[in-house]
Amino acid sequence: MNIEETGALHELIIWTPFLLGGFAMNILIAITAMLIGTSLGACLALLRLSTHPRAIKLSLLLTELTRSIPTIVFQFYLVFMLPTEFELPGTSIRLGFPVWLIAALALSIAVVGFTSDNLSKSLRDWRQGDHGAAFLFIPSWTSYMLIIVIASSTASIIGVSELVNRCNTVVNAIGRTSLMLPMYLYACAMFLLFCYPLIQLMRTVRRQLERRIQQGK
Amino acid sequence: MKAYVAGALAGTVCRFVFWLCTLLLCSLSGASAADTAATDPSGRLARIKQRGTLVVGVKTDYAPFGMLSAAGVPEGFEHDLAADIAKRLGVELIKMSVTGTNRLQRLEEGSVDLVIATTGDTVERRQIATMVEPNYYASGVTLFMRPEQSIADWSGARGQKVCALHGSYFNRAMAERFLLDLQMFNNARDAKLAVRDKRCIGYLFDNTAIHRDLLFPEWAGYKATLSPSLVTPWALAIASSERGSDFERFLGDTVAQWHRTGFLIERERAWHLPPSQFLSNMHTLWTSTDTQGKALCSRNASGQWPAACRNKVFVNARDELGLRHLGLWWKEYTGMDLSMVYDSYDRKRFLIGLATTMSLMVLCVLGSLAVGVAGAMIAEARIAVLTPLVRWACTAGRMMPPLLVIYMLVFGLGSMLMTSMGIGLSAMVIVVLCLSLYTGSSIMVAFIEACDLLRNTSPQFQLHFENFRQVLPLSSPLVTAALINVCKATMMSSAVAVPDLLSAVTSIMAENGNVTVMMNTLLLTFVLLITSITRALGWVDRKLRKNFS
Repeated sequence: MNIEETGALHELIIWTPFLLGGFAMNILIAITAMLIGTSLGACLALLRLSTHPRAIKLSLLLTELTRSIPTIVFQFYLVFMLPTEFELPGTSIRLGFPVWLIAALALSIAVVGFTSDNLSKSLRDWRQGDHGAAFLFIPSWTSYMLIIVIASSTASIIGVSELVNRCNTVVNAIGRTSLMLPMYLYACAMFLLFCYPLIQLMRTVRRQLERRIQQGK
Repeated sequence: MKAYVAGALAGTVCRFVFWLCTLLLCSLSGASAADTAATDPSGRLARIKQRGTLVVGVKTDYAPFGMLSAAGVPEGFEHDLAADIAKRLGVELIKMSVTGTNRLQRLEEGSVDLVIATTGDTVERRQIATMVEPNYYASGVTLFMRPEQSIADWSGARGQKVCALHGSYFNRAMAERFLLDLQMFNNARDAKLAVRDKRCIGYLFDNTAIHRDLLFPEWAGYKATLSPSLVTPWALAIASSERGSDFERFLGDTVAQWHRTGFLIERERAWHLPPSQFLSNMHTLWTSTDTQGKALCSRNASGQWPAACRNKVFVNARDELGLRHLGLWWKEYTGMDLSMVYDSYDRKRFLIGLATTMSLMVLCVLGSLAVGVAGAMIAEARIAVLTPLVRWACTAGRMMPPLLVIYMLVFGLGSMLMTSMGIGLSAMVIVVLCLSLYTGSSIMVAFIEACDLLRNTSPQFQLHFENFRQVLPLSSPLVTAALINVCKATMMSSAVAVPDLLSAVTSIMAENGNVTVMMNTLLLTFVLLITSITRALGWVDRKLRKNFS
């Protein structure tokens, strides 16, 4: 038992750089998803504040649609339905969608709904001169990004070489199933160590902002 | 991105060269087809003899048929066959390593003369290559089982849970024939571990691959005792342009010789393969003689083997009545293959998937609410040790990916419980548990934050079962959002072989190739499901507010 335990620890240390590389992929996917989702969501948020009732209705409908699509299903949908290669119009250059980008696109659909709801509220606050309340969008946005980092682990199902996927690869390569539990625990610890401090920080930022708003009133 | 474009360009060039080669080969074969005799000299046999080398595509990753020895030398059952052919021709053998995906392409390109690489002789492959008859080996489907498993034949597996891989061509036929309850996995490792943890009676796969797995020390004592079913014969493959050529005839005669002399059975024994029924049947057939003492299997005037000695192509008879007929007609006219409507097997899978997903959603919603309410009460009760513990667990729980926790419980804890105490945990129970805990902690936070808000006006407020109604209106938007999220997250269950809708759709798609139809159906079904849940939760929310305020 003892020999096996030290063996497991040794293996974990050897594979740490490989696993960290996978975790970097999780963060890359999350950031890309946030960027795409926020830009699209911002359009919906602006549309929502427009003066045309039809535009508002359209924005609300689109927002509800993005909220009804599970990201895991959308991920599979994009993997199978996007062309594996396409030609840039007017050129003969052929491009493809790398699988991590597909995962990011799928996750961005959740971000669209989030941004549409939260940014339209913040924009309204801003226009009413309540700048402090509008700034609350920043801690909410960052906390949401951490949720997306955690959710990006589902990209392993479509074969993106991120942390969970690499854990499975390592367990396969070593061929010792006794290593599974320590390996998964190690990956959990990575997620926890990354997200916990940031979430606590965002909580503090939010409290500070709220206190300032209270004082302002 | 630059490298990506360069790769794509290189791919285009390769494809162009490939088509050029194919075109050349086609025009060559067109010329030779002009004079039809029993054996057309295609020129290849003469060319092989002239250049003094035979190029054979073989496998190096499929022990013991084709592999690398400890010293890195390619060897195996099929390598011996290639060597024997080269010896008969009196030429030098050059081996080229091929894979399951490129072996027939290498033939078309003309870069190999012959492929001996565990190639199954199927109708589809006969359209793109020439399959030499007779067949030299055969593989079937068998079950990889635990040492203590007592099933003696396929009928013993009826109605039992059997692990299988998505997309294997034999899944459907086996499930229909022996009424197996298939549990679909994404990779062989997970399926074999599921067998170990008693989540199914066995793993359904190709018998030659299973016999290779059994050689690993990890699976010592495991067995595959069921006789192979759905046997598919293997053939030497040559280019499609070689059909009817002297090269094909020479190879056919060689394989016939191998069956007659027992060379194949002798090589099978030398490579420690389990004795195959196919080889002994073929030995009997090819050595039997008619009343005049002439070999039963000898070529007729047109150079063909008699029907009794040929490969009987498996024909799948299906009823084409009623709904099925309508479905096929629709497919013919529109190209839309709605197999989950007209095909009874696919329809059943789809409906079971839908029912499983819906029950997962209901269970997860109830579970999350239970965890959330219980957690919030304990957190508010201010009990020493327990309250801080629950609060900490809630924070940490929300930062661990649920999929990772599900893997941990299914493969880690699940197998530990099974080996030490003999308790089997169902994957579905684990999924509901994990997702309920994950979402429950979000709901708990929503309740606690609502309590904090209430304390702004009445500082003495403490949550009890009686005053829960005061918290509900304040927390309901966050709780509703969390519950909708958990319904979407139930899709994760397909990763651990719970037969949910995603799993059902993936299977149907892999077997029928109707990707577009199935993917759109899946997305539409989900949008409808989630929209109805959102409406239902909104209704409950309004009711609660009206009753409580």
